Amino acid sequence: MGEHFFNINNLKVNIDDKEILKGVNLEVGKGETHIIMGPNGSGKSTLAYTLMGHPLYKVTNGEINLEGESLKDLSADKRAIKGMFLSFQYPEEVDGVTVEEFLRTAKTKTWGEMQRILPFKKLLKEKMEALEMDESYATRYLNLGFSGGEKKKNEILQMSILEPKIAILDETDSGLDVDAIRIVAQGVKKFKDKERSIVVITHYNKLLEYLAPDYIHILMDGKIIKTGGMELAKEIDENGYEEIRKKYLK
Amino acid sequence: MTSWKRIGLKDFEFPKIVKYNKKYLSFEEGAKKEVSLNMVTDITSLPSPKIEDNFTGVGTEFILNVKKNYNAGIDLHIPKDLKIKEPIRLDFYLDEKNNHLVDFNNIYAKENSEITIVIDYKSIDNVEGFHNGFTNIFAEKGSVVNIIKLQRLNSKTLNFDSNFSRVESEAKVNFVSIELGSKLTGFNYTSILEEEKSYSNLSSIYLGDKEMKLDLEYTMIHKGIRSQSNIETRGALLDNARKVFRGNLDFKRGSRSSKGVELENVLLLSPTSKSDSIPALLCEEDNVEGEHAVSAGQIDKSKLFYIMSRGLSEKEAKKLIVESSFKPIIDKIPFEDLRSEINIDIERRLIHG
Repeated sequence: MGEHFFNINNLKVNIDDKEILKGVNLEVGKGETHIIMGPNGSGKSTLAYTLMGHPLYKVTNGEINLEGESLKDLSADKRAIKGMFLSFQYPEEVDGVTVEEFLRTAKTKTWGEMQRILPFKKLLKEKMEALEMDESYATRYLNLGFSGGEKKKNEILQMSILEPKIAILDETDSGLDVDAIRIVAQGVKKFKDKERSIVVITHYNKLLEYLAPDYIHILMDGKIIKTGGMELAKEIDENGYEEIRKKYLK
Repeated sequence: MTSWKRIGLKDFEFPKIVKYNKKYLSFEEGAKKEVSLNMVTDITSLPSPKIEDNFTGVGTEFILNVKKNYNAGIDLHIPKDLKIKEPIRLDFYLDEKNNHLVDFNNIYAKENSEITIVIDYKSIDNVEGFHNGFTNIFAEKGSVVNIIKLQRLNSKTLNFDSNFSRVESEAKVNFVSIELGSKLTGFNYTSILEEEKSYSNLSSIYLGDKEMKLDLEYTMIHKGIRSQSNIETRGALLDNARKVFRGNLDFKRGSRSSKGVELENVLLLSPTSKSDSIPALLCEEDNVEGEHAVSAGQIDKSKLFYIMSRGLSEKEAKKLIVESSFKPIIDKIPFEDLRSEINIDIERRLIHG
């Protein structure tokens, strides 16, 4: 257990006294890519928010450890500083703060060192180019008036700038067209090449073929009921979640 | 004795006003040759324009107090067609020896002239102070008056400020009010949009904390046809701060095809802060447009979580949201030193307060 880079141990989570996660176990090694799939309402987004430390999601049992340190009682900002990142399914709009200002502040906080303006501009430009984002996004207010696809790209931009140790991608592929998926997948791959760990939470398998994951997990009724490789995704694709439920959920 | 229920001012007695001896003009009197700028010495003998008699400001007693006891202020006349790009700055600093400021300012922009005035009210020590002011603006046809008032008095000081503008045809008055300090503030701005296409704009921000009390009233009186007014207020309240906002749009007979908009957005950063907003719309004409929108609430929890997930603490995230709300208005101040002092002040109060 403990020798893993990131692990979740028998995690139980309540929202408003209702138990949503009922004992999730997950181990992620350094540089590994994991996919968590599951039907709507299985607890996927709850898992994503809980890992990042959303105050509405109450951990009633279990542990979340990154490099041997417990994250369970830390607020979201402290988790970010430890190296966690969440790509939001629905990124928030923040009026009056530009993408550049926000990311420079975020990088200063998460890395604990002041980011000088010019080198940061250069870094941002480089990362934006890789994601085929127009330069003008840097000076636009954070997510304000961005389309669904632009918001998702902007999440991946933030990930590539902040360079966390482990990134949770919550439904990053939803709302993206084919071209955008390809670009986002390339961004994720570049990130992954640097020995960073990724957990992709999704109910489609659009991103799968690009990412070549190490493991696929099926989350259902608040638990991971099956772990396997690409063949699991294929099975879901062919038979649907109901069949999976019958087969694996006892 | 004066009482002011809304704001919790009971049995208030005006202090006996002492002299104000500080220099408040950043240049020698008469140095600006092109304009007529003088210290106010005698209100009664002021040349035109006449002071509006019906204007009661924050209260009749307060206006009377200024007229009787003023100890500072300017009388500024901008000649016809002269556009002055460089802003005029007044620094009214209160300290132990000059803890009473009663300022009367008269600003008279003649036809097609243009001027920007920045007035900074600030305590430079922690001594209990008193400020009561009256600023009278007259913008003749086609002129533009930009006036920015910044208030950073200490938490022991009472602050009263009455402001009046009369705006003629196609003239513009842009009033910016930034209220960051004082123990208690009563602020009134009343603008008469006198003629065709008069334009009057009020932008304000306030930051209340500790036991601070604020009563802000903005009134736009439309008389001219196709006149246009705009009130935009953004605020944030912490601790036990209380604020009353009243925005009045008054369309008089003859103000056909005029438009008035008022917006207020307040962030309540503590459960014990209190905010009242009272927008009012009065119409004697049918064909006018009056809009108001008020939003008051806590910072959206999802937004806070999103920002925090990028490494900013809760306080830093709140500061970011407040600053971004204030920024468009702070950016209107044409002096970098003032903008930066304001940002430092906001940071200090939101992060370390």
